[in-house]
Amino acid sequence: MARFGAWFGASSSAVRRWLLWGALVLLVSALLVTLVWLARRYEAGRLQERIELDAVDVAGDIRSRLMRNAQNLQGLAVLDVGLPQPWSLRAAGLLRSHREMLRIELRDADLQLLANADSEARAAVFDPQDRVALPKPVAQACRTARATGGPWYAGSRPVTTIGGYALEVLELCLPFGRRTDVYLVASYALNDILTEMVDVPFARAYDVSFSEVDGKRVAFHGVARSGNRTFSAQQVLELPGHALVLRLDSWRGTPALFPNFLTAMVVAMAIGLVFVLVFLARDTRRRLRAENELADALAFRKAMEDSLVTGLQARDLEGRTTYANPAFCQMVGFSVQELVQAGTAKPYWPPEQFDEYRDQLARLSGSQPPREGLESVFMRKDGTRFPVLIIEAPLINAHGVQSGWMTALLDLSEQRRVEEISRASRERLQATARLATIGEMASLLSHELNQPLAAITSYATGSINMLDNARQAARRVPALAGGGGADDDSASALPLHAAQLLDEGLRHIADQAQRAGKIIKSVHDFVRRRDRAHEVIGAHTVLDAILPLVQLQARKLGVRIQVRVDDGLPPIRCDRTMVEQVVLNLARNAMQAMDETEQQTRLLVLQVRRAASSERTAHALGWLEFSVADTGTGITPEVQEKLFTPFFTTKAEGMGLGLSLCRTVVEQHGGFLAFGPNAPRGTVFRFTLPVARRATPAQA
Amino acid sequence: MQRGADATVFVVDDDASVRAGLAWLLRSRGLPSQAFENAQDFRDFLAAGFRQDQACCVLLDVRMPGMSGMALFGWMVERAMCQVMPVIFLTGHADLATAVDAVKRGAFDFCEKPVSDNALVDRVELALAQSVQVLHAQQHRQALVRKLAGLTDREAAVMRLMLDGRPNKLIADELQISVRTVEVHRARVFDKMKVKSAVELANVLQQR
Repeated sequence: MARFGAWFGASSSAVRRWLLWGALVLLVSALLVTLVWLARRYEAGRLQERIELDAVDVAGDIRSRLMRNAQNLQGLAVLDVGLPQPWSLRAAGLLRSHREMLRIELRDADLQLLANADSEARAAVFDPQDRVALPKPVAQACRTARATGGPWYAGSRPVTTIGGYALEVLELCLPFGRRTDVYLVASYALNDILTEMVDVPFARAYDVSFSEVDGKRVAFHGVARSGNRTFSAQQVLELPGHALVLRLDSWRGTPALFPNFLTAMVVAMAIGLVFVLVFLARDTRRRLRAENELADALAFRKAMEDSLVTGLQARDLEGRTTYANPAFCQMVGFSVQELVQAGTAKPYWPPEQFDEYRDQLARLSGSQPPREGLESVFMRKDGTRFPVLIIEAPLINAHGVQSGWMTALLDLSEQRRVEEISRASRERLQATARLATIGEMASLLSHELNQPLAAITSYATGSINMLDNARQAARRVPALAGGGGADDDSASALPLHAAQLLDEGLRHIADQAQRAGKIIKSVHDFVRRRDRAHEVIGAHTVLDAILPLVQLQARKLGVRIQVRVDDGLPPIRCDRTMVEQVVLNLARNAMQAMDETEQQTRLLVLQVRRAASSERTAHALGWLEFSVADTGTGITPEVQEKLFTPFFTTKAEGMGLGLSLCRTVVEQHGGFLAFGPNAPRGTVFRFTLPVARRATPAQA
Repeated sequence: MQRGADATVFVVDDDASVRAGLAWLLRSRGLPSQAFENAQDFRDFLAAGFRQDQACCVLLDVRMPGMSGMALFGWMVERAMCQVMPVIFLTGHADLATAVDAVKRGAFDFCEKPVSDNALVDRVELALAQSVQVLHAQQHRQALVRKLAGLTDREAAVMRLMLDGRPNKLIADELQISVRTVEVHRARVFDKMKVKSAVELANVLQQR
């Protein structure tokens, strides 16, 4: 559940992050679109403005040219009176230079045709029959022109040409009043007006067209090119009597996406922004990762500090406590808050040593503290003192400036206690070893002396017996006192009182030998009496007692120790100290055997298991077999022969009693001690001890 | 003190002077001895066709290099030799536990060195007496077995019925032979078993 929650939390934060990123990208793209749109709009506005200005120009041009045409037509108002050229020639000249004009007519006051000229630039448009009488709109225009006294345009109208084409025509009526009432009627082709009167640059840039005020297009100039005519402008061309709408359509079509510098700038900046965002994102991610790593490192360090057995405490340069790890707090019994609030006062300093500590601290602040630390005494909250090892180190901050001190604190009380126990057990075992050695010496002496004493006793008693035999024989056969049998030779040869004295002497010899034997026995018993106490103990107890000592030596010699005690072993009944001595002796021998050569693997195996049934299984409850195996040099056959002989030793400082003692002890317990080669090399010593009788442990 | 004329005391001890001293002591009491330097030798001697037809006993040192006295004793116990050949341990270490254990396992006795004087010889003689007794019993048993083997089937049948306490007549009825024949068989049984009466015959057989 918690895991799910964590997952969910992580996921929600991820979702939020992605949402933020999405919003950012959305906003940036919206901004970009808006900017581009605005730029395009601006561009479009600019174009529109220009096209409108152009429309005004074009309309102005057309109007002014039309007006100039009207002025040029003034010259044709008089028909050949006192003029160097005939009218028709002049009209033709005018028509040649103004191709927009189709026909010029000169009419009298009744609008009867006086003269006319058609443009040579195109085929004849008007049927002369039709033009005898003016078309009605033109006649109307002429009347209006007369009334206003100025040129007047009739509305544009389609005319069917002789060829059958439709042509939009605009007609102008010019009245000339005072002298002769004549009218000059000029017909324009609207298309040609556009062609001739629109300057080339405009004509190239735009489609130009005329339409009626009602929107009907009547003339068009330009090429019907593809593309959207996005821009168009209209300008009303006001002519007397008629109004035309001039329309310009831009051929630029849709403005390009990046038609100008502004848009390009905006886009470039937007791209730059995106890049910056990407970099920022990458940087943020890196920062986030670094933060995570930092958090991990912090958690790691915290766990490390919390798991430390070593107390850690930091203080600033004034000596105020700034930090203490749990181990430190546990050691001194104060909480972190208490320590920090205490400031420079250290509640864990014993009052009697307060001044000494302060001096020490003052001294320390100037110099490099000793790396190996110093031993001292601290006080717990409850007032008990305990020995500590203090190691000081300067606290250097990230800028390389010392900001305080870090103190590592080791509680030595446990170590002291272990040392004490170890020393006590070592002393006990050493004392036992000394006693055991003395006992073994006594035992050996008794054995070695007992042999000759036994022989002496045997000889003495035997001799006495023989003397007795001789005397009895002599008494039985007194007559034969002079010459006895073969076995009575010596006795019968002696005088009776000499035999008596001899007998007495022999008895004394026997008595003294007996006495010597008893003295030895009593010494032996005295030494032995001490260790009569047999206990019922577990096999592992024996090993546990001697392991610290064995390990001490093993570390020195670089020997690895393996202890294998089978599960569920019954307890043994033995003289504990002596059996410990045996195991210790064997283990020491084993380790020395491994130290003799440059051995690669130094392994000492102490093993206890149930003995396999053998010839010695008479004990109803069975036996435990202890074995001590080494990987040393092994034992040569010569040494094997004399191995258990007392005072035989291969060591310079040895007495040669160790193994002998071991055998004595084991045999006293009814077990046996044997040795054999260990696979793949080395030697293994085995001995057996009887399993305790549970019901009657105190049986002597 | 009843003992065989050719009783032998075996002495097994690693110490030459002890061996010689014991031999001397035993000889002073008229006991022939044979000494062995170590347990292996004695075991080999026993294993190499030694026949237990004479009274004998062993003085065995507990502690010897190589095979120990206890180990040798164990070997002998396994072969049931300790009845005819009682074992007396010689111990220099006054180890009561070992000694008690040994006696429990069938050793005749133990004796502390250097207290090996006439008291020891007395023990030896007791041991020899036991040996003789056991030997006699064995021989007696063997003789009886031999005698019984000498009987014919019919004689054995007559004897069995006789020991049930039936008179001759009933035996004759049972075996469907004549009373006269029964009497003949009966006399033969007495003759072969070397007894004079049915009561004596019962006694002899009971000892078996």
